Amino acid sequence: MWLLPPREAALRAFQLNGYAQGTTYAITYYAADSAVTSADVSRKLAEIDASLSLYQSGSLINQFNAAARGVVADRHLKVVVRKALQVYQDTDGRFDATVEPLVRAWGFGTQHTEAPPSAAAIQAILKGVGSEKLHLRGDSLVKDQPAVHLDLNGIAQGYTVDVLAALLESHHIRNYLVELGGEIRVRGRKFPSRELMRIGIERPDTSDLPPTSMQQVIQLEKGGVTTSGNYRKFKRWGAVKSAHLIDPKTGYPFQNELISVTVVAPDALTADAYDNALMGMGLANALAFLQRHASLQAYLIYQRPDGTVADTATPGFQRLLSPE
Amino acid sequence: MDFPRRDFLKKTSLLTSGLLLHQELAAAFVAPVAASKLRIGIIGCGDRGTGLLKILQELTDKFEVVALCDDLPFRLAAAQKIGSGAKAKTYTDYHALLDARTVDAVIISVPLNLHFQVAKDALAAGKQVYLEKTMTYDIPQALELVRLAQLRPNQTLQVGHQYRYSPLYYRVKEMIKQGYLGKVTQIDCRWDRNGSWRRPVPEPSLERKINWRMYREYSGGLAAELLSHQMDFINWAFDTHADEVFGTGGIDYYKDGRETYDNVQVMARYAKEGIVGNFGATCGNARDGYLFKLKGTKGTISLLVDEGVYYPEKDTLKQYGTVDGVTGATKITWNKDGGIPITTGAEPLKDGSWYALSDFYRAVNEKKLPDSNVFTGARAACTVHLANKAIYNHTIEKWQPEYNLT
Repeated sequence: MWLLPPREAALRAFQLNGYAQGTTYAITYYAADSAVTSADVSRKLAEIDASLSLYQSGSLINQFNAAARGVVADRHLKVVVRKALQVYQDTDGRFDATVEPLVRAWGFGTQHTEAPPSAAAIQAILKGVGSEKLHLRGDSLVKDQPAVHLDLNGIAQGYTVDVLAALLESHHIRNYLVELGGEIRVRGRKFPSRELMRIGIERPDTSDLPPTSMQQVIQLEKGGVTTSGNYRKFKRWGAVKSAHLIDPKTGYPFQNELISVTVVAPDALTADAYDNALMGMGLANALAFLQRHASLQAYLIYQRPDGTVADTATPGFQRLLSPE
Repeated sequence: MDFPRRDFLKKTSLLTSGLLLHQELAAAFVAPVAASKLRIGIIGCGDRGTGLLKILQELTDKFEVVALCDDLPFRLAAAQKIGSGAKAKTYTDYHALLDARTVDAVIISVPLNLHFQVAKDALAAGKQVYLEKTMTYDIPQALELVRLAQLRPNQTLQVGHQYRYSPLYYRVKEMIKQGYLGKVTQIDCRWDRNGSWRRPVPEPSLERKINWRMYREYSGGLAAELLSHQMDFINWAFDTHADEVFGTGGIDYYKDGRETYDNVQVMARYAKEGIVGNFGATCGNARDGYLFKLKGTKGTISLLVDEGVYYPEKDTLKQYGTVDGVTGATKITWNKDGGIPITTGAEPLKDGSWYALSDFYRAVNEKKLPDSNVFTGARAACTVHLANKAIYNHTIEKWQPEYNLT
C-alpha cells in the first residue's frame, strides 16, 4: 500500500525560500517529509532562465531576438509563447509580447532615457511591434521581421510558479502555495488545521487608505493569483507623468483610471497574461471583458475622477473573499 | 532570470510614498519655465560653504554663483577652483558683498557666533537668505531674528537643516502621521565619530579661526553642529518642541585645549506628545555613527541620512502573518532582519542640500515660507541653547512661553 498518499495526520509544513528572477520566492508545501528540496527548485529556475531570461546572455529568448528569422523552441518557450499569442488575440492586442522596444523607448527598460520618445520615433518602432508577426511553426519560433523583439517578462513569473507547482505535483504533493515576485499558484489546504490558504492582496500605498493592512484577503482551493499595477512605476517628464504600461497599438502609455488588477485563473500563467491586458482596458471595458470570460475572476482598484480610490470585483471573486 | 521589475523592486516597497505626495514634491523641484536664475553669493567658504558651492553646480538652471566671500585668502582661492566659482567676484568683507546689487541671494556659512549679525545685515540689505544651521548662537538672537524677518515679508529666510529636505524624511513624517509607528514614546539619536573633529591648521595663528568649533565663544559644540538636525526633525515631524532638557558631558578624551565638549548626552521631554528624546554624540567611538530611531507601539523607524527601514512590532506583524501569501504588483520586500526598507520612488536620492537649495529657489520665487524657516529654525536654536545650558551649567532647562513663535 506504499503508493497511497500519506495519511493527512502525518503532513507537515515545509518551506523553501530564495532569490530568483530579481526578486524572492517562497514555497510552502505539506508532505510527510521533505520530498522537494531547494536544489530541485534551483535546477528548475536555472532551466527557465536559460530559456526565457533577457538578462542571461545566450538564453534562448536572447538568441531569438538576435536572430533574423527564429530559433528552435524548447518546451518553456513554446508554452509561454503559445499562451502569449492566445491572449494577444483574445484581448485585441492589449497584451503583446513584442512591446519591449516601446517600453525601452519610454525609459522603462534597463537603460535610462532623458526624454520621452518623439512621435516619429514611436511610429518607427511600431512597425516592428505586433504579435501577429510571431509564429510557432513545428518545433520553431519564427518572426516576420528581424526587428521583432520578444519580451516575456510580463508573464514569466506566472509561468515559473506554475512550473514549480508542477514540480511539487510530480512528487505527489497536493497542498502547497508557491509565490514568486507577488505571483501565486496555490492548491489544497493547510495542516493540521485543514484551512484553505489565505492570500492577501497588497494595497496600493496611497495616503487615503488605512495603513499597515492588506486590502483584501481571499481563500481558494486551487488556481493562479497574480496582480498588475500602475501605482509604483512611472516616469515624470516635467509636468507629464507616464505609467510603465505601454499600449502596443498606439505606442503611448495607457491612460486610464485603473491602479491595479488582481486576477484569479486556473493557472498563474493565464492570470499573469490577462492582468496586464485588463490594466490596459480601463475599468468599463475590463468589466465587460470579464463578463465574457467565466474562467477569470478579478479584483480592480481604480481612481475616481475626484482622486479618491475605489475598488470593485467580479461576483466570482467576491465569493473568494475571506469572511474576516 | 531578471525582469524589469527588478530595478524598482530594489528602490520601492510597501512604504513608497503615495502618488499625491510625489506630485507635490516633484512640483517643488521643477523650476517654473519663466523664472530667472537667482544670483547668489556665498559668505563663508569653509567646508560647508564650499560643499554648498559644489551642490550649486548641479543646480545651474536655478542659481548663478556671482560672489564668494571669506576673510582667509587661501579659502577664496580654493572656492574659485570649484565649478563656476572662477567667474564669481571675490570679497574679504561680507559688507561689500551685501552692497553689491548684482547679488540677489546669499548663503551664510560662517561660524555660529556670526550667524545672527550676518543674517541681520543680509536682510537689511534686501537679500534672500539661506542661513546655515544652527540658526543662531543663542535664544535672544533667535527671537530677534524672527522679529527682523517678520518685518521683511517679501524676503525669504531659510535655515539649512538640509537632511529633512530629503524625500526620505518627508516620507517618514508622513508615515508617522499615518500611524505606522502607533504611539511614539522614545526617540534615540546619536552622531558619533572616532576622531578629534579638528581641521588642519596651516599656521598656528589661524587655530581659533579654523577650529572655531572647539571654542565656546564661537560654537555650540556637538549639540549645535550635529544633534540640532535630529532635534529639528522631531520638532517638525511631531509639530512640537522639548519642554524640559537635561544634559551632561565633558572633555573626556581630547584634552587638547578645546573648550567645547567631545562627549555629550542630552535628554529631552516632549510633554504634550509624551515622548522622551535621547541625543548623544562622542568623538571617541564610531561604531554607531549616525543613528536615529523612532520607537512606537506599532513599529520602529531606523534612519540613516539616506536610508530608512521600518520594523513592525510583533502585533503589527501579525496583520501580515495571517496570510500564507501576498499578491501585489510589487511585493513587500523584507530585510533579513525583519525590516521593510522605506523608499521614495524610482529616482536615487540626492544629497539633502540639493533638495534644500531647490526649495529655497522655489520659496524665493513664490514668496512662500520654506519648510525650514525662521520659526522652525528658532525652535531648533532654542532647543540647542537649552541643551548647552543644561550640559555646561548642570541644570534642568525649561522651555519658556516666549519661545513659542508663529
